[in-house]
Amino acid sequence: MSTKSTRRIIIAILSYLVVIISLIYFILPMVWIIYTSFRTQASVFTGRVIPPLNEFTLENYTTILSVTDFPRYFLNSLIIASIVTLLSLCCSIAGAYGLSRFDIKGKNGLIIGIFATQMFPQVLLIIPLYLVIFSLSLLDKVIGVVLGQLILVLPFQIWMLKGYFDNIPADLDDSARIDGSNVIQRLLYVILPVAAPGVMVAAFFSFVVSWGDYLIVSIISQSERTATITLVIQRLSASLLIRWGQVAAATVLTIVPTILLFSFVQSRLVEGMTAGAVREF
Amino acid sequence: MPHPHEHSTADQAIHGRQLDTFTLPNFFIYRNKSDRIETGPKMTEKREGYLLILPAVVVMALFTLYPLLDGLRFAFTDKSVLNDAYQFVGLQNYARMFSDDIFWLSLRHSILLTTAVVVLQLVLGLILASAMQQDLPGMPVFKSIIMASWVIPVAATVIMFKFMAQPDIGLINIILRSVGLGEITRYWLGDPAVALPFIVLLHLWRNVPFYGIAFLAAMQAIPVSYYEAAEIDGAGAWKKFIHITLPGIRNMIIVMVTIHVLWTFNNFDFIYLATGGGPVDATNVLPVYVYRQSWESYALGYAASMGTIMLIILMIYFVIYMRIHERGASAA
Repeated sequence: MSTKSTRRIIIAILSYLVVIISLIYFILPMVWIIYTSFRTQASVFTGRVIPPLNEFTLENYTTILSVTDFPRYFLNSLIIASIVTLLSLCCSIAGAYGLSRFDIKGKNGLIIGIFATQMFPQVLLIIPLYLVIFSLSLLDKVIGVVLGQLILVLPFQIWMLKGYFDNIPADLDDSARIDGSNVIQRLLYVILPVAAPGVMVAAFFSFVVSWGDYLIVSIISQSERTATITLVIQRLSASLLIRWGQVAAATVLTIVPTILLFSFVQSRLVEGMTAGAVREF
Repeated sequence: MPHPHEHSTADQAIHGRQLDTFTLPNFFIYRNKSDRIETGPKMTEKREGYLLILPAVVVMALFTLYPLLDGLRFAFTDKSVLNDAYQFVGLQNYARMFSDDIFWLSLRHSILLTTAVVVLQLVLGLILASAMQQDLPGMPVFKSIIMASWVIPVAATVIMFKFMAQPDIGLINIILRSVGLGEITRYWLGDPAVALPFIVLLHLWRNVPFYGIAFLAAMQAIPVSYYEAAEIDGAGAWKKFIHITLPGIRNMIIVMVTIHVLWTFNNFDFIYLATGGGPVDATNVLPVYVYRQSWESYALGYAASMGTIMLIILMIYFVIYMRIHERGASAA
């Protein structure tokens, strides 16, 4: 056997080793929590990995969905994350397009400023933010949570989209401008269709950030009116006697929407990141 | 063995382009303006540009810039959640901080955690990307599922690991017991000696796949011809990695490390949700300490002053980074 093919086999073996270790580390915890969500409380406490069949149950899910207020919090999360996604997209598409295509005074400063906000400690920002939301009488209101979460999403989203728009040839805009379209028409009918994969990734990003946010919700929400599932699963898992089967079921229900959305954008998530690079060479 | 001359051309070719072609680092392209797509807007359209950025600018000014400035002001007051009235106390908060042992402990943990997390993420991300770069059966499926950990809420991640770390019923301890390591089983988040390293595992779990996918994307932008040329010269896998891959993805590494230093240092929810900073402050970090001072001790003023220290540390990091980056750019 030549040294070249031996070398190739060694690389393949090492790669698969990395894959196997990664699957155990990155995927097994998710499989394990799903598995646990179908086991009875007694079964979990035996500490056995493979229990007899009669110890599997759907009870955890029926309890979480019918006895507790979980559906309500789930709905809160869904409403808040949807509004955050819509609002942030409006702001960031317009903002990124403006920064990408127009001659704006102090543009570089603005761009650096947007990036610099990533440097601001969020735990410092939320102190005055709490007072701003309070003085707008938006504490414990859906819109208060939404406004707070926008600051988590916007900078990175503008950054992503500006990068995407920069890669779209300006000729497209120019020919549309010659045809007499205004800036909104150009954005909606010329740029957005081309930038759709990038916009989808940006939308996905803001939904996931809002859905998973704990920091903002924990200070602005004061009651079940605005409490989201992240608050609730935290509360469930911090109680004295933890019912792990139910906690697992609630956790799975929290994860499922993000995984579902991820499976839709997954190919685009990678493509959105690689497309430009592939196009160039 | 490729000539040094070849590396530098490869480096330049990729260095110059990659900034433009990849979504993430695009913010940095204000540096090489010559590469930018010029759109030549007319004077009448200038106003439209301002109108477009207006909503984003207003939201960020009202909910990011104003809170930041207000927070800096609070750092010099004795503001509390319980009380509307407050007064300026000068540097008293900073004096208190100086003699606050938990502050210094949290600061040390923050720097330690950020360094360990970012270095490990970088190394493991490179290993993961190199494996994913191999054209092997099953790899596309693996690539499509591996980033799932990045999208699920941190609160859910924490519960998964909390459950696995349980003393009797946790998977980690069950496995340890079955391989005869029963004596080291424990509640992994409840032992001051191992809780902080365990938190590192949570950070790695979430972000290493993201690093891997990002590095892979950058690697795929490197022209195959560079590798072929190196192969003709007889370069091995390691040499190719050091002389072609690493320089080729240099910008992506810089961006990922920069962002994650900021994100990890500022990260609050992993530790707050997993341990609350305990046991006995063994995992306390600055963001968690600031949060608890604000919302559990109601000492907004004191919390804000520690928040400004965090900001100053990150600014120092950023300035040093910019210096190094500029020197690197001018040397090339």
